[in-house]
Amino acid sequence: MIDPLPRWVRLSLALFFALAAGCAPQQDDAMHDQAAARILQLFNWNNYIAPETIERFEAQCDCHVEQDYFSDNEEMLAKLAAGATGYDLIVPTGNALDTLIRQGVLIPLDKALLPNLKNIHPAYLKTRFDPDNRYSVPYAYTLTLLGFNTSKMRELDLPVDTWAVIFEPEYLQKIKGRVTVLDSPRELMAAALLYLGYAANDQDEAHWNQAKELIIRAKPYWAAFSNTSYIREIAIGDLWVVHGYSNDLFQAALDAQKTGRHFTIDYAIPKQGAVMSLDSMVLHKSGKHTDLAHQFINFMLDGRNSAELTNLIGSGNPNRDAKSFIKPELVHNKVIFPDEDTLSRLEMITDLDHKQRRVLSRMWTEIKLR
Amino acid sequence: MQTSSRLVKWLISAPPLAFLLIFFAAPSLIMIFTSFRLPGEFGGLAPVHILPGNASEDSGLTIETYRFFFSDFIYFEIFLKSFTVAALTTVICIAMAYPLALLIARSGKKFRNLMIMLVVLPFASNFLIRIYAWMIILGPESALSHMINNVLAVFGMAPVTLLFSPFAVLIGMIYVHLPFMILPLYTNLEKHDPILLDAAQDLGANRWQRFRYVTWPQSLPGIFSGSALVFIPVLGMFAIPDILGGTGDIMIGNLIKDQFLGTRDWPFGSTLSIMLTLAVLCIAGLFSWLAKPVTRIT
Repeated sequence: MIDPLPRWVRLSLALFFALAAGCAPQQDDAMHDQAAARILQLFNWNNYIAPETIERFEAQCDCHVEQDYFSDNEEMLAKLAAGATGYDLIVPTGNALDTLIRQGVLIPLDKALLPNLKNIHPAYLKTRFDPDNRYSVPYAYTLTLLGFNTSKMRELDLPVDTWAVIFEPEYLQKIKGRVTVLDSPRELMAAALLYLGYAANDQDEAHWNQAKELIIRAKPYWAAFSNTSYIREIAIGDLWVVHGYSNDLFQAALDAQKTGRHFTIDYAIPKQGAVMSLDSMVLHKSGKHTDLAHQFINFMLDGRNSAELTNLIGSGNPNRDAKSFIKPELVHNKVIFPDEDTLSRLEMITDLDHKQRRVLSRMWTEIKLR
Repeated sequence: MQTSSRLVKWLISAPPLAFLLIFFAAPSLIMIFTSFRLPGEFGGLAPVHILPGNASEDSGLTIETYRFFFSDFIYFEIFLKSFTVAALTTVICIAMAYPLALLIARSGKKFRNLMIMLVVLPFASNFLIRIYAWMIILGPESALSHMINNVLAVFGMAPVTLLFSPFAVLIGMIYVHLPFMILPLYTNLEKHDPILLDAAQDLGANRWQRFRYVTWPQSLPGIFSGSALVFIPVLGMFAIPDILGGTGDIMIGNLIKDQFLGTRDWPFGSTLSIMLTLAVLCIAGLFSWLAKPVTRIT
């Protein structure tokens, strides 16, 4: 999941290429139609499906899977808005799913074709974005939580199960300059709101102001706002505590282990709760192979196939049937399979209207400037 | 005869004129138009929707975004901060580039070309990769950090962090933009007539006076064009503060980028861009005005 390019580079490139070649998938489609009769166009996150899973599906359905990638929901929406078509299946996160539904560009699912839907844990169904799962089926998820250098935390006697560690000066003074937080107004505000005892989606401006003050107070102790570089920095020991994504931290932990560092990287869900980004499979109206897409969704709802992704990138797994196929060292990972109690503390971020976005952006500017 | 030469003039200047019209004037007009709209529900694409003609619901233009911009001192502060960083970078670039440009201009022809090539060489590798390289050089576990902090420890001073600081941003800015100062300075200095220096010496001017009253005034146009080439890009730069900056190193470029890619507020992004363009035009005007009287001397 380590992405060498910052978000804005990817986004600008996406915008540029999307505008330049909006109909590229269609042409591909036409070309391959001659070679293989059936072809599934998948618009997915980078590195978000195991290659062997694809191969097995291709063998099973006697078709060909073609993938296009995005690294950001905004990028995906921008590409679609710029006219990219031909995608049968897309894997958006909650708020982007919300946008796609309200734009009316999704095809309702035929549940009769998805018998494996029963494998999904009910906690991940009926989200506020798609209350009846008319359009979407859970695929996998990421949590926004705290990653840390285990040895340092023990050495400095710091707690790892609370947001206090990135907000309270009493803890921060021990790790000054070794902490980064996400460069995302929504994610960071959510963490601050959760720490203050509010909901991650709280939209009360007074509460936002409290969160802003909390962030400004903690800021002098943070090294930077970082969305991607923290993965490398924590894996080589430059950073000790990061506010980051579970998939990325899984990667960082693996990297530290592989390169034989004298410390280990771990991550945990703070007791105040955390943000969950649930990615779902949806059918886009421009797709041509609705049957194949249903077949693929049902295939991915199979425990074994779902487990393969988790084994690869450490993604959270909404599939009850996946546990028996998961690597033994991951079975008890609470981030991948949260218990009921943990689940109740996970929240999905909803979209803001443009006025709220402007207010938040102004607060964010102030946070950065102070 | 006269008409045909005028025609030729027009034909020659038409392509660049068209280029400017298409790639500067048109986008600027779109931006001005966008800045008077409200952001759409699904993000920045809403302003485009009014073109096909569903103007009925809200084709109304608004000055709300400008009111938002001026209602708050904070955006002015960001402009001020960006101008400070740009000015500082420019001044340091002048200080660093001048001796080098002078050295290159006064060395033998063979070395001159070699040195110019060395100045330009960094352009061979990608700009972002060079900035990422600075991340490794300035990182807390890097050799440089260790060395500096060991020296500081000898004097009993607290260790410093180099990466993710205004200092790192400044280093990155200077590193990337230094060639843009060296090259115009060099082209200027290279043209100076050495006879003037001989004459000054014959008239009793010492080394410092020869520089102060002969070389320096002649080199001002080079400094001004170099300054414009450094100051203006630095002002709009957002990649370097993004990658090397700490928690407080936001510049106007970051803010604009964020309006388009993060906040999905195209109107406000456009307003900020227009303000920046105006500021840059003022600066460019100032530079050309400053450069003018001196060019008459040379």
